[in-house]
Amino acid sequence: MPSVPAVPAVQVVPIVNKTSDVMDLRLSEEENLIQRTAARFVDQELLTREGAYLKQKALFLPPGSPERRNLDPETRKTLIQLAKEVGLWALEFPDDPETPAMSAVARVLIHREFGRTILPFEPACLPALMGQSPYVKPLNDGQLSLSLAFGQLHKTGTLQGIETHFRELPDGYVLSHSQFDVFEPEADLYLFPAREEGSDRAGLFLLERSTSGLSISEKEDLTTDAEVARMTLTYCKVRREQLLGYEYDVAALTAFEQLRIAARSLGIGMRCLADSIEHARQRVTFGRPLASRQAIQWMLADLSVNLRTSTWLALEAAWRADHELPFFRAAALAKKRAAKMAFEAADTAIQIHGGYGVCKEFPFEGFYREARMLRLLYGREDELDRAAGERFIQEGNRH
Amino acid sequence: MDFRLSQEEESLRKRVEEFVRDELIPLEPEFENAPDVFEGSRWKSRARLSGDPEINRYIEIMETLERKAEAAGLWHLDVPKAYGGLEVSNVAMIAVTEELEKSKIPFEFGTHVSNILYNCKGEQIDRFLWPCIRGEKTSAFGLSEPASGADPSMLQTTATPDGDDFVINGTKMFPTFADVADFVQLFARLPGTKGREGVTCFLVERGTPGYRVTRSIATIAGTEPCELVFENCRVPKTQMLGEVGKGWELNQAWLGARRFQVGIRSHGMSQSVLRAVADLLRHDAKEAERWTSAIGFFLGELEALRSLTYLGAWKADQQADVRTEAAQVKLFATELLHRVIDFALEVAGPSALRKRGAIARVFRHARSRRIVEGPSEIQRHIIQRSLFREGVGILDLI
Repeated sequence: MPSVPAVPAVQVVPIVNKTSDVMDLRLSEEENLIQRTAARFVDQELLTREGAYLKQKALFLPPGSPERRNLDPETRKTLIQLAKEVGLWALEFPDDPETPAMSAVARVLIHREFGRTILPFEPACLPALMGQSPYVKPLNDGQLSLSLAFGQLHKTGTLQGIETHFRELPDGYVLSHSQFDVFEPEADLYLFPAREEGSDRAGLFLLERSTSGLSISEKEDLTTDAEVARMTLTYCKVRREQLLGYEYDVAALTAFEQLRIAARSLGIGMRCLADSIEHARQRVTFGRPLASRQAIQWMLADLSVNLRTSTWLALEAAWRADHELPFFRAAALAKKRAAKMAFEAADTAIQIHGGYGVCKEFPFEGFYREARMLRLLYGREDELDRAAGERFIQEGNRH
Repeated sequence: MDFRLSQEEESLRKRVEEFVRDELIPLEPEFENAPDVFEGSRWKSRARLSGDPEINRYIEIMETLERKAEAAGLWHLDVPKAYGGLEVSNVAMIAVTEELEKSKIPFEFGTHVSNILYNCKGEQIDRFLWPCIRGEKTSAFGLSEPASGADPSMLQTTATPDGDDFVINGTKMFPTFADVADFVQLFARLPGTKGREGVTCFLVERGTPGYRVTRSIATIAGTEPCELVFENCRVPKTQMLGEVGKGWELNQAWLGARRFQVGIRSHGMSQSVLRAVADLLRHDAKEAERWTSAIGFFLGELEALRSLTYLGAWKADQQADVRTEAAQVKLFATELLHRVIDFALEVAGPSALRKRGAIARVFRHARSRRIVEGPSEIQRHIIQRSLFREGVGILDLI
């Protein structure tokens, strides 16, 4: 009798901290509450202000591209206060020391809701490793601002891109001469990764704007409603306590940024899908609503599948992070898919809204510009695909 | 069969090639940081609105170029001979635009004359057509409405006959340049009519009582189309363009003629984006290796677009019905441009989204092209309709 090759047994990987015996994809009661709170906040406080934010300031416009939009400081202050009242602020370091930090899943749920509006407002969420920093309180209070100067990481989404080196001095460290783009350049503090000379391991620094040897120049508008500038480091000396962490911390921070982008993208997708469905129901062409046209139906059906898959990838990556399982690759994949989905969702919403879609009084063209940027941050699609493919070729997928 | 241009067309193309080489390309460094206001052929009237001395300097440069082009006999290329123009073929206009697109200077040989204005009759000719040809007046195109675009049956603006006048009521959305245009080509329907029947075109001057440009509207492209309101606006019958109830045909003719230019413009913009990508890759062997085949793929697609565009223009020159070809070119051109830009941004990374950057500019300008003058879905609809009506015969060689 010919021997039948044995089917390899399915390996069940034990899960750390597993509390229930069966898979359960429902949100916990607490997660549910957080999501509903965030949704209500976005509905009541943000979406109600969106019209005023998008409204054109003058009846007639000068020629050329319109000015960058900004949330006025007064509104921002009000919103911070309101967000604090419902616990949607300082997610990592709540004011009340008794309150635990939000889980990664909860943060995805929150950022997902905030993504539904074009209003540039998100809950402050400082990286956990800033725990010891005296800056935490002023940052959480909105007196100081923090920007991630991770310009060298956007290409690959990994630590490979880091070109700046650091070297230990008797009283601290010195960073090698380097120049790179920094998004959100107008900040008081920057988190910045560099590599140690010799060991080549990555370190994460907290730089103050006033640090000597650090300069910000050539500030310009981006095509999103944000800014970019060149950051130059020339013999930049930092104190010992400004080195906050190493290799893992840089990678983890990158992964959490990828999760934040993924979550925001999900919100963009939800909003674009919902508004497109509504508009397709209302708009009549050639005697029928757009919603009755297969071309439109299929666009929206595809988008919904895309949205759902991206949602589960993001939630699973966040859940892995919460359970101390490896989650970097999952976060990278979630970001890649979600950001692309958000861009396509905005593109679809523009197309379905026709001429209104490209108007600045509607949110879709803004989502379109923003999502295009999100796709390019913390790992470009081709780089992430290539890395996954290379791993597969090297290792196969029996793991 | 002969894929070469005629002698006359080739000699024109050569002269344009020289003009671009000698006059336009040398100006490119100067335009590197030019403000974003020179889009479209009616740029001058809007640019003047700004009153910015920096912009005025650019206007002067452009006007000097216009005089040079006129002196070189490269002016009013598509204006009929009866109006002192060169009346060159559609194919020649494509070849001319293809040459122009090789430079970054947004220059055109001639003032903007809406092609349907050649339907002007009697005193309309002196009042509307000639001033446009001479560049003294500009016009806007008022078709779309808050609830209607590609579908004539949804057009709600009415023109009610009253003695020697028509009384016009309604709102028009998105005519570009209407805030500076001297008159609008306005489409309205006669009371009690449905569908395309009854749609009639009028020429309505700015300042006519009851006609107001209520606002301009910010868009992703940085062009600001307008909203127009007509409230009991009285327009004499003598200002009707063409015949009563034949407005929709005029609209179709206006769109048809422009389609092939959209094709070659998208071709040129895509090429310029790919050139920007090549500039980034030229000194980075590793990155270049990664993207070379993708660039090659897009070059092939662009060649396909170019040939489709020339085919359509040539068929139009043979007086053939080119509605399907026009739809194919519009669809293929604007969707391809979209893909090229998306690719370019993947290569160039987030820094390329600086607002003034070459790729970012095209990124913003290109988005509306898949919508204006008939969205891609309508183009696909036109193509499928002729496929089902006439079968694969529409692809027959002639």
